[in-house]
Amino acid sequence: MESLVISKENFPELINTIIKSYRLFAPTEEKGFSGFNIIKDYLEMDLSYLNSRMPPKAILFNQTETLFLMEPGAKGSIKSKAISNEKSAIFAIRPCDAKGFRIIDPVFLGDVIDPLYKANRDNSVLIGLSCNQPDSSCFCTSFGDSPASGKYVDILFTDIEENYLVEVMTEKGKNFVNNFGRFFTPAPPKEIEAKNAKEKEAIKLIKRNLKVEGIEEKMDKMFNHPIWEEYAKKCIGCGTCTYLCPTCHCFDVVDESTLDKGARVRTWDACMFPEYTMHTSGHNPRPARMHRLRNRFYHKYSYFPKNSDVIACTGCGRCIRYCPVNIDIIELMNRVSEMEL
Amino acid sequence: MVDQKELVKVAKETLARKDVKYIIGYKKGSYGFQTSAAFAYTPKDVEEFIFTPLCNKNLAKYPLKEEKLPLKRGEEEDKRKIGLIVKGCDSRAISQVIQENGMKREEVVLIGIPCPGVIDQKVIEKRFPNQSEITEVTEIDDDYVFTIDGKEQKIPKQELLAEVCKTCEYPNPVLYDIIIGEEVEVNPKAEYEGIKELEDAPLENRWEYWEEQFQRCIRCYACREACPLCYCSTCMADLLEPQWIRRSVNISENTAWNIMRAFHLAGRCISCGACENACPMDIPLMELNKKLGKEVKEMFDYAPGLDIEAKPLLGSFNPDDPEEFIK
Repeated sequence: MESLVISKENFPELINTIIKSYRLFAPTEEKGFSGFNIIKDYLEMDLSYLNSRMPPKAILFNQTETLFLMEPGAKGSIKSKAISNEKSAIFAIRPCDAKGFRIIDPVFLGDVIDPLYKANRDNSVLIGLSCNQPDSSCFCTSFGDSPASGKYVDILFTDIEENYLVEVMTEKGKNFVNNFGRFFTPAPPKEIEAKNAKEKEAIKLIKRNLKVEGIEEKMDKMFNHPIWEEYAKKCIGCGTCTYLCPTCHCFDVVDESTLDKGARVRTWDACMFPEYTMHTSGHNPRPARMHRLRNRFYHKYSYFPKNSDVIACTGCGRCIRYCPVNIDIIELMNRVSEMEL
Repeated sequence: MVDQKELVKVAKETLARKDVKYIIGYKKGSYGFQTSAAFAYTPKDVEEFIFTPLCNKNLAKYPLKEEKLPLKRGEEEDKRKIGLIVKGCDSRAISQVIQENGMKREEVVLIGIPCPGVIDQKVIEKRFPNQSEITEVTEIDDDYVFTIDGKEQKIPKQELLAEVCKTCEYPNPVLYDIIIGEEVEVNPKAEYEGIKELEDAPLENRWEYWEEQFQRCIRCYACREACPLCYCSTCMADLLEPQWIRRSVNISENTAWNIMRAFHLAGRCISCGACENACPMDIPLMELNKKLGKEVKEMFDYAPGLDIEAKPLLGSFNPDDPEEFIK
């Protein structure tokens, strides 16, 4: 790992230089909240944000993806979608959202490789930006992570007043930085200390904690506990929590057609929708909201760690912030944690 | 504001009735300015009930969401009533649903609370983004008063009040079994003032405006699920055969979804703003609903959710209708 600095004075030029050779996704402000978009100029970028409303998972795993196009009839044809190998950089991704990719990697790059996700992942450099101002729903520290963690990105930027400290974390990151070497100088120790101080301050702002220790074993014994029903009562069954989650990765595949052509399309799906598990026969193995809500929490805190050794939650807080009925994963999981069985 | 002790007392009395299975009210939320729906089965549960300016969710959705799973052998259906705390808008929602035969009057016991308006959750959270401690807000004269980090905040009511409440014509419950608290004075402000600017804009600008809004839609259906008038057992958006609205999330399908929903609420929307509050992408859905509400009011002199005996607007016709197509 290498630590560099870039002055804020030179920063706009760096961004504009990156734009010349990369498709650059960066946070922009839209209608009072932030989202990742392709920018064409430094000025479009807005770094005065806590986190984007939609997680950047949508960049590598699109909400709607056309898999192939088809034409019917005797001379019918199938046209696969060309896989793009355009080089991209995602700038100012937060450590929690970057971890989201690490969590969903085993799903798309495991036994069966998803070519679309793989191409997007391989062609993208993740450039993180440390969170200096976490808010009331942030809880990444509960998982041993930090708002200034470089663990899941290729390069990590941290705002240290006059400069950015730039930590190069991976080989991919190193190659990227080498292309723009003239902007960076080696970091003097005081700048590294400045980052550490910022990190400590940011951690202090995180007030809420989800007690993860032993939770998986606890849940092994709680499948039939009334707590799921209690929370399901107030759940209205929308897809906000899943669509805004950086680790939720379920999808649906449907054919969409007009009279003379069609497309096979992959779209995000949400386990809170009744039709998510609906069988063709009309039978639904998760007929009630309780079954669906329970599955969501079990998937994140029990099944996923069993399969991939990591809890499928990064502590980004979006599901808490935007749940219309105050279903709060910290409150619920802490009750599970503290439950005497 | 209603006295909490009285609320608990009335709720307890209601819960004690043999024909009531549980009561839905509000309780403190899990952090900051949140409040939560509370399902009270025992007198102890009822003690958690609150009613504050933060009780901004429409509870009328919950009786409609009650799941009727297949009964086990020997099990009998629980036909007792659901108790429900209703503000003006919530009571209108229930009233409209009853009018449409979506529910029977005897299925619910309504505890009405005259509502001086509630706080817009998004506005207050944006203003105090780091408030993780559970915070109670009280209304004193024309201010909202609460404490943050030991410091008293006094914010003028108009700055935090939900948009729909600013022009609410029915803050007092229109349908109830028991009422608590004193009647609230009706705001004289015109209900459709908020959409005037948009109405006056040229067509192209309006189209551009809505395209920009619908572009953001992620089709999570939070609007539908939060709306007390969206209670179809199968929503057309979920149908695959025929596929009225495609699953693809793009401007065309998003527009189809949002316009379809707005039209299905014409003459039915009771202006509670639950859809807009629930929308994670901040789409101003109430502007659409208000516009259709206004058309309905002007063309048919009809306002939904006021009278359970009235005929639903789009379920009735008049032989004297001046329009040609009806003859």
